[in-house]
Amino acid sequence: MNLKPIPKLLLAVALAAPAFYAQAGADAPTDAQIAAIVVTANQVDIDAGKLAQQKGSSSDVKAFAQTMVRDHTGVNQAAADLVHKLNVTPEPNATSASLKQGGDENLAKLRALSGKAFDKAYVDHEVAYHQAVLDAMDKTLIPDAKNAELKALLVKVRPAFVAHLSHAKALDEQLDGHGQE
Amino acid sequence: MDTARNRGGRRFRAVAVALCAAGASALAFALPASAKTWTIAIADMRFQPASVTVARGDTIVWVNHDLVPHTVTSEASRFDSHTIAPGGNWRYRATAPGRYPYACTFHPAMHATLIVKEKEKQ
Repeated sequence: MNLKPIPKLLLAVALAAPAFYAQAGADAPTDAQIAAIVVTANQVDIDAGKLAQQKGSSSDVKAFAQTMVRDHTGVNQAAADLVHKLNVTPEPNATSASLKQGGDENLAKLRALSGKAFDKAYVDHEVAYHQAVLDAMDKTLIPDAKNAELKALLVKVRPAFVAHLSHAKALDEQLDGHGQE
Repeated sequence: MDTARNRGGRRFRAVAVALCAAGASALAFALPASAKTWTIAIADMRFQPASVTVARGDTIVWVNHDLVPHTVTSEASRFDSHTIAPGGNWRYRATAPGRYPYACTFHPAMHATLIVKEKEKQ
């Protein structure tokens, strides 16, 4: 039984999660703030995916990155359509700012890496990131969304994040040499 | 006025109608009399239902209800929808009996099976 990946994963979750708890103790986010958090969360993963499409080493990592760019672009399009329809202006807030900062730091770290080290760091972060997004959706974003259509959009997009998390975990195991090639 | 030109036009229309009727008859013989159309939903990152049995000649329509694109791709390369955009759909007419596992090439966990049976004689 090899427990090596677990501490690394916990560390990655610990690094990615604080962005979603920047408002811990503060009032629940408004719909305009939730919209900004959703758009930023997607954009951060699109940016990381675009970098991985260029710098990724394995074809599986590149394909995963392409799926992240494709899917999160689709989600952001749906979110943009909805906020336009609802006449809501996404309102930047501490959580969205923290997400952006975390995304920029991740990009800076990834730009300094190459080859297998890049693949591993990118995929590790994707596991932690999607876990943190799901936690935030379940504990804050979905329960706190007031508008029914915004809540429905979050509920509808949740299975995609679950699938991305599973995909990233399988890729992570593959990179560690435990999965199928 | 019953001119030669009008008579020619009538003859042309009559021939065209006869040819269309003959074509339709041939088509009717080529297609099973009761070909059905089946709908498979792509929703919540799953094909629903995950297994569908159809008869040869039936048409299957996959409808993407998700917010992300998907594909319907036979694992044995028998069919491939390529990208089905959110809200889009793809139709496929099943012509060869067999068991066809398929997947979404974008999302490796999405698997399902299409089973095509020979049409039962009526």
